[in-house]
Amino acid sequence: MSQDSQTIKTAHQIVMQKGEMYVGWSTKEDVRKRGGSGGLVTSMLAAALEKKLVDAVVVLKKMNEFEAVPIITSDVNEVLNSAGSLHSVPSNFAKLIANRNLKVALPAKGCDVRGIIEQGKRNAINLDNTFIVGLNCGGSMHPVVTREMLEVMYKIKPEDVHGEEIEKGKLIFETKDGKEHAITIDELEEKGYGRRESCRYCTIKIPNNADIACGNWGVTGDLAGKATFVEITSEKGAKLLQNAIDAGYIQVQKPDEKGVAARSKIKGVMEGLGKKWKDKVFVPMDNRLEYFRKELENCIDCGACKAVCPTCSCGDVSKCTEFHFRGDAYRMSMYHLVRFLHLADSCIGCGQCADVCPVDIPLTRLYRRFANPVQEQLKYEPGMDMRKPPFFEAKLEV
Amino acid sequence: MNAYSTICPGCNFGCGLYIRENGTIDLDFRKSSPANAGKLCRFGMSLPRLYKPVKSMVEGKETTPEEAAKEAARRISASKGSVAFLSLGNTTCEEVLAFQKLAVPYLCTGANFDALPKDVYLTLSVGIPYTEIEAAKHIVLFIDPYEQYPLTVRRLLSAKKKGAKITSVWWKDLPLADENIRPADISKLQLTKDSLVISDFHPLSDAEQVKSVLSLAKNAGAKVTFLKPFANSTGAYVLSKDAKQKSFAQLVEDINKGTVKTLFCLESDPSTLIPSETLSKLTNLIIQTGHASAGTAKANVVIAHEPLYRKKGTLINNEGRGQALGGAGTNGLEALGIIAGTKFEFDSLHDAVKKALGIQAVDEFLIPKYDRPAYGAIQAAAKPPEAKTTLVSVYNPFMWFGLPDDNDFVELNLNTVRALKLLKGGTLKIKSNGSTIEKKFKVAPVQDNILLTGNRFGIEKGSITPVEISR
Repeated sequence: MSQDSQTIKTAHQIVMQKGEMYVGWSTKEDVRKRGGSGGLVTSMLAAALEKKLVDAVVVLKKMNEFEAVPIITSDVNEVLNSAGSLHSVPSNFAKLIANRNLKVALPAKGCDVRGIIEQGKRNAINLDNTFIVGLNCGGSMHPVVTREMLEVMYKIKPEDVHGEEIEKGKLIFETKDGKEHAITIDELEEKGYGRRESCRYCTIKIPNNADIACGNWGVTGDLAGKATFVEITSEKGAKLLQNAIDAGYIQVQKPDEKGVAARSKIKGVMEGLGKKWKDKVFVPMDNRLEYFRKELENCIDCGACKAVCPTCSCGDVSKCTEFHFRGDAYRMSMYHLVRFLHLADSCIGCGQCADVCPVDIPLTRLYRRFANPVQEQLKYEPGMDMRKPPFFEAKLEV
Repeated sequence: MNAYSTICPGCNFGCGLYIRENGTIDLDFRKSSPANAGKLCRFGMSLPRLYKPVKSMVEGKETTPEEAAKEAARRISASKGSVAFLSLGNTTCEEVLAFQKLAVPYLCTGANFDALPKDVYLTLSVGIPYTEIEAAKHIVLFIDPYEQYPLTVRRLLSAKKKGAKITSVWWKDLPLADENIRPADISKLQLTKDSLVISDFHPLSDAEQVKSVLSLAKNAGAKVTFLKPFANSTGAYVLSKDAKQKSFAQLVEDINKGTVKTLFCLESDPSTLIPSETLSKLTNLIIQTGHASAGTAKANVVIAHEPLYRKKGTLINNEGRGQALGGAGTNGLEALGIIAGTKFEFDSLHDAVKKALGIQAVDEFLIPKYDRPAYGAIQAAAKPPEAKTTLVSVYNPFMWFGLPDDNDFVELNLNTVRALKLLKGGTLKIKSNGSTIEKKFKVAPVQDNILLTGNRFGIEKGSITPVEISR
């Protein structure tokens, strides 16, 4: 690792501030090896716990290359041993920490951050006590689809996979024999593999709505793959990073201009791709009512889409369930109609509802059919700032 | 925070999920699970309600699991010759093997294999891989997948997307079916060797109906697969293949006759299957389980151990897929050891399970090869209901586990509503055997003179109940 002693920042040398950018890595060799991009995020979370900045941290407990379960822990070693970046674990942490009154730090993709902020607006999460470590995200994949993709497209056994990375538009799998297998994401998605549909049209690639935004975009030269690019986006973010430096868990240095420019360019390209996908998925249609009715006719009333929705904070008693009775014979259930209305201003397009639907209804697409025009018209992007959802403020004209 | 990778006990589909314990029980979606891709049905979403804590009890007094097991051993020993052992599955293969050693005198897996030809045993026990459902050209349903086995729906829709034709033989039109045939019009069903027949097999199955399905498939050279309502029913059946078993119908008869006085149930709630007047004839009802149920409230002895999700061991789903539970608990085996007067070692039982399946290790991504031998010709005499109006019970996980659901209504068609001049939002009177109940109704494309319910109203006589209806 290249470590220029003139530029590396260690304990008590600097005071972090909102708006600053750094490149950093873990001081712990085993974390650097195990974690993604130099293990900075893992070490920053562990330091927050160790120095009692927070009482708990959310980590992914890794089961295998395709599987991890999010847990809340107060054990520093559990944080240090947690999974690095896993593209085929499309979880969302907002509901996990909601209504627990925790002082917590957690890693968060753009959609996690948006969910957490929306829960904050609904008083289910205290944002003052929540340190959100944003992770750059080009998209995540469904693990079952990933396994099939490995066998069909890469011709490798899922059990032989040792690691994964997305670089220059390619999805790269490393096998246990040390070989790398790369296919462009475009080619994979043309064949129906690759990222989840909602990730394709997502345009939040660098989560500046978090307290700190971390990722490997913009890490250049010798540090490429060995360090994390960090942008501090709030006072809490500055505190989190400073704490990790002071605790001796991480080292940082200023990024070079080339890196800053590269990061900005990747962000622009990725956002542009997201917009193209949005136009491709949401083509205008005739007979919308019949389309929605047909898509929803197989619904088995499991309620999983509500349970997993990171912006819903209604709990068991809510309008969508209270106005719905399984004995009703409406052509489209009140449950879905109420949810369409509720999510028109609040859907963040995370894809969790479609992931968990037991009859494969493309729910996120249906919610976005309502949400896209509403949110565009209201110039409101849920989860991106603390603005109240417009429907919260709607008043009847008397 | 403890998180367990586990399998839903709601049926034998083998849906993977996570259970988190943190004061309360929460579930999370295990999206890498090959059986369900993390998706859960209405019952799966209700699991925190199912896993109600249970305490070891002897005649209503709380005790330790060890003392309860010792008391169970004493009562079983004292009732020698009149003890029956029931396990529907719902537990690990390792516990099933230990249970079998205990249950030699009277083993009941809750199936009625006695009433069926011996050569259909494995066809009924092990289904086909779900990928074969998705690859089928013609699928014939003798179930309501939405209500009974909901995770089948996405497999059927996937098959349909690939061009499969779906025929439903059911009392109600199903949204995904291309063709809906009523059970009484079974002669209209056309099967070929490209057809796949999906039915189910459970303790209350009508043997003649099962034979009829087997016979139809046999005559056409079609594939047939039977879904089952209890987790690891396949494991329980496969591992009991060579054991001497009593049928469920025989068990009920023996309790009624008084030749069975003590019933030991492993992870099985008899109150959802056996009429209460029959259960009340028992001297001893002993239940070993990991969660509270209506059955544990009635039992003389309750031996409480860890719930399924905290157990260590193997389940086998309907495809025959081995699935390892993510817990470490073996208290169930310890309790069975106390009752049997021996010590059951998990490792040796696990080796026996692997040997029986012909595998080196349990890998949920590999389905072991099962011998599903061809069966001979079958004579069947399934009869359609004779009564003018019939209440049909559509057995589903909520009913099998006695868990309340939002389904306190019957489904009937518009003709019936008009004939009885029923009012929208009103109720329907249903009379059977001198009892009358009043229920809400839902208009659905149901066969004339049929009422469908996924609930138990207390007036049923098996799955088909003749009733009279009025406004």
